Amino acid sequence: MKTRVKKLRLLLVLLILLIAGFLISLLEGPVETNFNDLWNLVVKNDSTFRTIFVDLRLSRALLAFLVGASLSLSGAILQGYFQNPMAGPFVVGVSSGASFGAVLCIYLGLNIRIIGFSVQSIFAFASGFVIVSLVYLLSQRKGVFKVETLLLTGIAAGALASALTSFMIFLKADHFEQAVFWLLGSFALSDWNQITAVLPYFFLCFIIAQWLAKDMNLLVLGDDVAQSLGCPVSSVRKTFLAISTFLAASSVSVSGIIGFVGLIVPHWIRILIGPDHRCLFFFSSLTGGIFLIYSDLLARTLLQGELPIGIITAVVGAPFFIYLLSQRK
Amino acid sequence: MALIEVKDLSAGYENGYVVENISFTLKDGEFLSILGRNGSGKSTLIKALQGLLKNASGQITVDGEDIFSLKARRLAKKIAYVPQIFSFSFEFSVMETVLMGRYIHQGRLGGISPSDSGIVEEVMSLAEIDHLKDKKIAHLSGGERQRVFIARALAQDTPFLFLDEPSSHLDISYQVEIYQILKRLQEEKGKTILSTEHNINLVIPYSQRLMFLKEGKVSALGEPEKLITKENIKDVFRADVEIRENIHSKLPEISLIPKAGEDS
Repeated sequence: MKTRVKKLRLLLVLLILLIAGFLISLLEGPVETNFNDLWNLVVKNDSTFRTIFVDLRLSRALLAFLVGASLSLSGAILQGYFQNPMAGPFVVGVSSGASFGAVLCIYLGLNIRIIGFSVQSIFAFASGFVIVSLVYLLSQRKGVFKVETLLLTGIAAGALASALTSFMIFLKADHFEQAVFWLLGSFALSDWNQITAVLPYFFLCFIIAQWLAKDMNLLVLGDDVAQSLGCPVSSVRKTFLAISTFLAASSVSVSGIIGFVGLIVPHWIRILIGPDHRCLFFFSSLTGGIFLIYSDLLARTLLQGELPIGIITAVVGAPFFIYLLSQRK
Repeated sequence: MALIEVKDLSAGYENGYVVENISFTLKDGEFLSILGRNGSGKSTLIKALQGLLKNASGQITVDGEDIFSLKARRLAKKIAYVPQIFSFSFEFSVMETVLMGRYIHQGRLGGISPSDSGIVEEVMSLAEIDHLKDKKIAHLSGGERQRVFIARALAQDTPFLFLDEPSSHLDISYQVEIYQILKRLQEEKGKTILSTEHNINLVIPYSQRLMFLKEGKVSALGEPEKLITKENIKDVFRADVEIRENIHSKLPEISLIPKAGEDS
């Protein structure tokens, strides 16, 4: 019962933060706007600031929320999958893989759009997927696969992808800004197209994750016991690996690599509300989304120009993560 | 009539079979203990019997149904499994862990039904862990933890209960306590129990039959009174023992012969 009260209280706090986050995101920006302008748009349908409010700021906040939610959900899934609080989209190689694809695209000079998606996004997505599939296949030994092998192979493959990415940036120093975008992340290029590129996947993956959340809980007991309790372990594991990859790759494909969200948010939520994935998935998604809304606010208001959001999340996230670790008994 | 029939089972891991040519029948309501040295294939056998190993050949049927073609969900309604105690970071509470046994009886998104909570309460009192309900598993002693996992297997509500070395890493008092609980389950709930064990004397009073496993093969199978002989123990465990009668149970019991001075 105590945890139920805790969860409700957390939900309330998060919802307030979410609404406040959206409001500040809408009002804050290079063009001076105030609450009255927003009121006029919503109530009186006054379209003076429509483009600024809806197409620039709302789309940006919404994209930040979706990417944060996707990365955190991906992290929550991977931490459950590996039974390891150090896991995250970064660790299995998907983030580095996806950004490698994007930078490769810049390097090759491809800059076209196919049915609304930029080729870069498609490349990012595909290479993220390829890396994880490779890691998955390489960590199998005669049909049996070990979680530790997968984790270590993922780290190695991610490092390799990052090295290749840096190499390409080095060769094409004139595309530095674009490269920074992919390596450190940004929502500066957000538009509604990108939201439609992320939103359906997020919802689909979220529903699947929630559907299989009980199975994920059983995996703590070990695969053998989970199986003997009636959980179809191997198909559950495959599904979770696929959707966590999907979530991370689709996020990176619209906003570049944004570190630490997928690692600290689920980790922190687990400490707050416990290990039940039925709640963990939901709260991680919500918190991750809120975290990125505020991080993006900082990224675009702290200095004159835009800061890459990855710097903000790392500066906030890394010390917080170390703090959480030091709190562990 | 709950029955498991095993014919010519060979099973193992990627490097080949660990147990070979195993054939036996687990009868309704009996308590069968599998004994053998470390590495004799006890754990492998108990996993293979539930279809948990991919590298397996031969035939296993539960109530006439082939185990290898049964879906995990259906098999989980027949056999519950208590693995060897292992240490891990486990943040779930006792209650939550026991509830995991109800997985196959619940809907995917559904909560706890009245019948779930009824059964969970019942098994927690059977395993004598009601007072630990809200404690975290990580904070329990070995004996308490083992009882929680037994309760979890009971919550699964299956005719068969498989246990892998239920007494390992436990103090003597807990070892007997666990077997007392198993005995009650067999007598009161009609469970058919299959358990691996390395402590021979511990299981004799509780088992109707013993299986001796030697280098992955069944070397003897039968009632304790017939199987517990000097020659058998020497053959299976490579230990020199005397057989005597336990003054309480009147059953055979082994007594180790100290080796001191023998080969000096």
